[in-house]
Amino acid sequence: MAKKPHMEAESLNLGFQIAPMIDVVFVIMLFFMAMAGAVKVEQELKQTLPGIAAMNPENAPEMPDEIMVTVEETGSVLLNEEELDAPNDKKMLNFKATMNRLNLEAKNRGAKVLVTITAEEQALYERVIDVLNAMAAAQVTNVTFTVGSEE
Amino acid sequence: MGGGGGGGENGEPEFQIAPMIDVLLVLLIFFMSITSAEVLKIDKDIKLPVAQDAKKKDQNSAVAEAAINVGWIPAQQKARLTFEEREYQDNTEELVSILSQRKENNTKYRCIIRGDRALPAIEIQKVMTVITQAGIDDISFSALNQE
Repeated sequence: MAKKPHMEAESLNLGFQIAPMIDVVFVIMLFFMAMAGAVKVEQELKQTLPGIAAMNPENAPEMPDEIMVTVEETGSVLLNEEELDAPNDKKMLNFKATMNRLNLEAKNRGAKVLVTITAEEQALYERVIDVLNAMAAAQVTNVTFTVGSEE
Repeated sequence: MGGGGGGGENGEPEFQIAPMIDVLLVLLIFFMSITSAEVLKIDKDIKLPVAQDAKKKDQNSAVAEAAINVGWIPAQQKARLTFEEREYQDNTEELVSILSQRKENNTKYRCIIRGDRALPAIEIQKVMTVITQAGIDDISFSALNQE
């Protein structure tokens, strides 16, 4: 009677099998490897809202190079009233290149670039983010964002 | 040398299953961790815009951070402002007082705006006004790294 369970186990061959385990591990690993490339990560575009700035009397404020960017309802983005890319162009390569060039020129002169983004009230937020993204790509940090007309 | 050399009787290296399993498991754990660590903790109804050149979110700052969700209901053409799973669309004064209190308690308190890509810019302006009224000047706009 005591030997019966042992004999049953032997006949069923329930021993640990390494080959199927490796197969399964491979499949799971391939799944996670494939998923790793498609992971959506939350990123951020930093902004500073107008507040009370501490004045330093020793350093007189320099007048920055002000650039006006307008985002229209149609998706058109105007840089100093000039449209550089198509309204549905998300990459905005011309805009990025122009901003980069203006930023470099200002840096070489020791000046700062101040960009004011003015979006129309019904302009899409997505388009505003496209512009902010282009600013981040061009390493322009002094950006203000407002909605509505300038008047 | 005799223990783990991996050589056969004729000196030829033979395939070792145990170290291969070790390596496989390490790789598996690595890919599992990087996949699950980046699971987004945002409102499912909000479709964030894409900004590939934006900076990766600093996880350390999340402690002193208010995540303000701004959804868009296309059928009603109306925005939906939520903070900590409560809606404040028609009650922004209360949100201002909550944020002001948080800012008083922690001077480094900041806001992250998670806005739907279909929102009109005016709705984002309204949220920015609320944040300004609360005395918070450090904000950021949330976006995804890819579609």
